[in-house]
Amino acid sequence: MGLLYDSITIFTREMLIFKSNLRTNVIRSMMFPLIIIIFFGNLGNGISNVPVAVANYANSPTSVQFLNTLQSGSTLTIKAVTNEQEGLNMLRAGSVSALVVILPSFPKTQNGQPSVYIYYANSQFSETGVAIPFIDNAVSKFSGQTSNVQIQNDVSAVSTQGTNSSYRDFLIAGVILMSVAFGGVFGGGMSIIVDRQLGNIKSFLITPISKNAIVLGKLFSGTVQSTIYGLLALVLGFLLGGSIAMGIAGLIWIIPLIVFVAAAFSGIAIMLGSRIKTIEVYTIIAQTITMPAWFLSGAFFPASSFPSWLQPFNAADPLTYATNGIRDVMLNGFFPLNHIILDFGVVIAFAILGIIVSFGLFKNTIE
Amino acid sequence: MSSNEQYSVEISDLKKRFGDFEAVKGISFKIKKGEIFGILGPNGAGKTTTLNMILGLLKPTGGKIIIEGIDNAEDGEEIKSMIGFMTQETVVDSYLTARENLRIFARLYHIPEERIEQKVGHALQEANLTSFGDVAAGTFSGGMQRRLNLVKSMIQEPKILILDEPTTGLDIQSRVGMWQEIKRLNKAGITVILTTQYLEEADQLCDRIAVIDHGKVMAIGTASELKRLVAKGNLLSIKVDEDDVLKVTKMLKSKFGLEVQNKEGTLVAPIEDKQLDKLIKISEELKKEKVNVQTIGIHLPTMDDVFIKLTGASIRDATGAQQGEKNITKVGGFGRR
Repeated sequence: MGLLYDSITIFTREMLIFKSNLRTNVIRSMMFPLIIIIFFGNLGNGISNVPVAVANYANSPTSVQFLNTLQSGSTLTIKAVTNEQEGLNMLRAGSVSALVVILPSFPKTQNGQPSVYIYYANSQFSETGVAIPFIDNAVSKFSGQTSNVQIQNDVSAVSTQGTNSSYRDFLIAGVILMSVAFGGVFGGGMSIIVDRQLGNIKSFLITPISKNAIVLGKLFSGTVQSTIYGLLALVLGFLLGGSIAMGIAGLIWIIPLIVFVAAAFSGIAIMLGSRIKTIEVYTIIAQTITMPAWFLSGAFFPASSFPSWLQPFNAADPLTYATNGIRDVMLNGFFPLNHIILDFGVVIAFAILGIIVSFGLFKNTIE
Repeated sequence: MSSNEQYSVEISDLKKRFGDFEAVKGISFKIKKGEIFGILGPNGAGKTTTLNMILGLLKPTGGKIIIEGIDNAEDGEEIKSMIGFMTQETVVDSYLTARENLRIFARLYHIPEERIEQKVGHALQEANLTSFGDVAAGTFSGGMQRRLNLVKSMIQEPKILILDEPTTGLDIQSRVGMWQEIKRLNKAGITVILTTQYLEEADQLCDRIAVIDHGKVMAIGTASELKRLVAKGNLLSIKVDEDDVLKVTKMLKSKFGLEVQNKEGTLVAPIEDKQLDKLIKISEELKKEKVNVQTIGIHLPTMDDVFIKLTGASIRDATGAQQGEKNITKVGGFGRR
């Protein structure tokens, strides 16, 4: 009988315990995401008169009509600029929240290129969340096609651009990963401490299985449980009005990111649980690790809005890359290859590190 | 390999050191096949450390452990399948049903899948829990949990069963039930090793007893052999007022040549010959000295007397501190102290 068989036995035991507390586990895992999405997800509603610069290179009657449409109502306040550069300068200076560039071909596409560009700054996420869908909508009215607009931000270093850039969708990505990270640290892995206190670890160790089978079984179960929590948060996000810009296919990217983060945090939990003897101390240390990791990943605010001294922490936080990846899929609808390599690379490395360390540090009760 | 067919466990010069502290200082004993072997000792004596080494949870610093002819340094895994262990804490997964508890351990002991269900059913029957098979173990009474724990420890049909204080905290009825169960298993051919804090338990249940203190074996033998270490004959015990203790002690020594020990206010001394005569003479002397005698009598040595003689500690002190010892081990410190 091999390591795998033994670890599956431990995994089965863990999952049976999880199942017997299923309702409590599910409710507990959903409370926090629910509260955050409901309370903060609507941030930005009721915003009006968002300052937007417009550089009109078309100067045709249609483009003027389009400008009038943008000015109708009180959503936007339009500031005309003579060229793209002037608009970008204003955007960078923060005097406008977005820049609309109308190309000469407007409203037709030319060689597959869109006829309207929208630039926006990440730091104005709540305002752009209102402005961009409005502009986007106006463009579709004129061109009759939705793909006739390109939204970009070369203004900020971290890209969170997208056709779905509502703050709710922005927040949901962060909340999913919060559920996964917290589920990993406070879910399966923490059971090592309880098991040790109750004598379960000892009773496992006197059987012919190896220590590694216990770690592997706990790692499996922790990963599965945290993944379940992450998916529950995702479903909750949908129910509360979130969406994936890439469509359902986006799950192909989102789920693996969740699984790797789940594995990494389960590994962290085992590592901590192996060395810490009481739940109280564990809780303090686990929170000290998880909370900053979560905040620094830009879960609540775009990382570009962080002060410069926080930027390195953001860049060093593995959760940042998982968050960015999920946001590419959920907000942008487009996951560029260089992002895939970077985000998955960091997240997988993080998971492998967590797993290796958990194996290295797991000590039995006695020696 | 210097193993002998006759022995189930052979321990020679076993040592364990934790940092500067030597918990076990060269213990040797042999446990015969089919024996019920008791290990007695006060807090910090090295009992648990010794058990943990037999179980393969701790690596000895020195010495040898041979179990059923196999050196445990050579094939730990094989040995683990031959030993069943029931901890002092009742370890059952309270969220799992009795059946799930047993199934998990059947798998951990690598019982072939096709035999597991039959085994589990049989174990439930043995534990008298058949009708509770699908009930969460956490809802069971203490006695039911203990029974489940015992059949769980036996699921792999071990040759040796190790019990760490199997009846601690049980009511009298459950304790007697547990004794019967241990005897039944023993009759079926299983070698039983147990630690206990109940001297009466060691006396009634164990074929042989090892008294361990300060990491060494102080004495080893059957209960009556050990009792003979205390006194060849009987013990005289007198309880007098506290003020008179010193006076009476001196009197017994000078006039009757008795070596008196003060056991929690009761004076105890071995008397070997002409017991009745001596008792009468002592009584008269006490009357003359106008000592207020609360009780006076002669009795056979008990395990309690053995324990006090060998370890200098009353078992009551030992059990009081016992819990502290257990807690330290449990949180994964270095054994004890």
